[in-house]
Amino acid sequence: MNNEAVIGDRDKHLLIAIDDTQDSKRAISYVAEFLGGFPGFRATLLSIVQEPEEDFFRTEEERIAWIKDKKEEMNGLLERYRQILIQSGFQDDKVGIKLSIGNAKSLSDMILSFQCDMSCCTVVVGRHHKSKTEEFLFGSISSQLIHEAKNCAVWVVE
Amino acid sequence: MEKSSVKTCRYSEEELLEMIRRWVPPERVPSRVFIKDTADFFQVDYDDVVVLGGVPYFVRNNEREGRFGLEDQQKFWVKRAIDLKTGRTKILKWAFWEKFTGRIGDLVYECVRSPLKEARILNIVRGRPDFMQGETFMDAAGNPLRIMDFIYGKTLEDITLSFGESHEDYFFNHYPGLLSEFVTAAESIGFLHANGEKHGDIRRDHLLKDTATGQYRWIDFDYNYRHRANKFSYDMFGLGNILIFITGWGDVTKYTLAQDNPNILSRLSSDDLNIVFHYRVANLRKVYPYIPETLNRVLMHFSAGARVYYASTEELLADLKEASGKLN
Repeated sequence: MNNEAVIGDRDKHLLIAIDDTQDSKRAISYVAEFLGGFPGFRATLLSIVQEPEEDFFRTEEERIAWIKDKKEEMNGLLERYRQILIQSGFQDDKVGIKLSIGNAKSLSDMILSFQCDMSCCTVVVGRHHKSKTEEFLFGSISSQLIHEAKNCAVWVVE
Repeated sequence: MEKSSVKTCRYSEEELLEMIRRWVPPERVPSRVFIKDTADFFQVDYDDVVVLGGVPYFVRNNEREGRFGLEDQQKFWVKRAIDLKTGRTKILKWAFWEKFTGRIGDLVYECVRSPLKEARILNIVRGRPDFMQGETFMDAAGNPLRIMDFIYGKTLEDITLSFGESHEDYFFNHYPGLLSEFVTAAESIGFLHANGEKHGDIRRDHLLKDTATGQYRWIDFDYNYRHRANKFSYDMFGLGNILIFITGWGDVTKYTLAQDNPNILSRLSSDDLNIVFHYRVANLRKVYPYIPETLNRVLMHFSAGARVYYASTEELLADLKEASGKLN
């Protein structure tokens, strides 16, 4: 058995789902302050970009350019947040990043699918302060995670 | 998916006039007729002919937006026409792509009117009696132009309001049948969702009861909204509005209650109102106490007091079928 596998088996694995809002930054800061420097934890930072359907673009070129820009933006953000965790005391090799672009029916389902694939024990999200109307019309990731998550904890950071 | 309109047959003016005479009364036959290029809908007028897929269409009026006081707003890109080969009325819908901002209160969201989306859905629903039917051709400018079958029939709104002499009469004698038809219509939206598509503009005037089949058909799928955490929740909102409308025998609002039933209005709390339209009542059991609790619970998922919302048609239908079963 190699070293990485041993570490993986022992470490508690957190999945931190982020987007480009301040709410995600709060979630990162919380994890950094709460767990930074403690052994036995690793984290994967996940960003899922909801790709608008082709209907929202006049041309295919416009759509491809949008995806490219968004990828660059979110990869930059993921890396910055990764550095925050490392600076808080997480080991360099224990903070991974993952960017997924797709047209998911439900973002929370997609997050939970990654959680399941990576055997994460905890999902962390920042709480968006939405109005009830907005939550009703467009959904709420944190609410859906709380209702749908199985075999893992969900931290919703205020 | 689209067929090309470029392969057009040549029709002489006399041939076209002869065909027109077959389908329209003499006083409506123009003295001259012109075949217009399909590239620009503004250039296509009443009494013109456009040829698509080899079929000549005799153009009649522009269609109009028929709700919210916009009766006079013409949709220049949507024209009624007569298929000169069959005499059938068609709706020609030119490509009109627009991006705009939707607003509900302070909430702002990105919307688009997309001919591509409608063309995709027309393909998915081909042959189904629960959706409008049509084909997509490329116009002379290479944009998707949809040719839709004209549906003769009333909207769900008109049908709802035509039943009954009082709410009680309506609810016990007509509503169970209407609810059953609504369940079928919601299942149709479930079919779209299962195919990864949203309707995008679910409204009670976008559901027509086809006189020919006696079944409801969803129409107008070209709107799309930029979804966020849940792709279909805005469609669910539309279904909820229709359900509350048919259950209330129209919209029950704070204003109508203030006039007709101020006592009931005084018993309502903010939690009893529609979660989006705060002037409409969702908790209809407080207005009509004979509405069963199981049914009212479904309505309350669309109220300001709701803590849990329907994320899919399956969830809504499971509750609604149970409630519907108890009505009979």
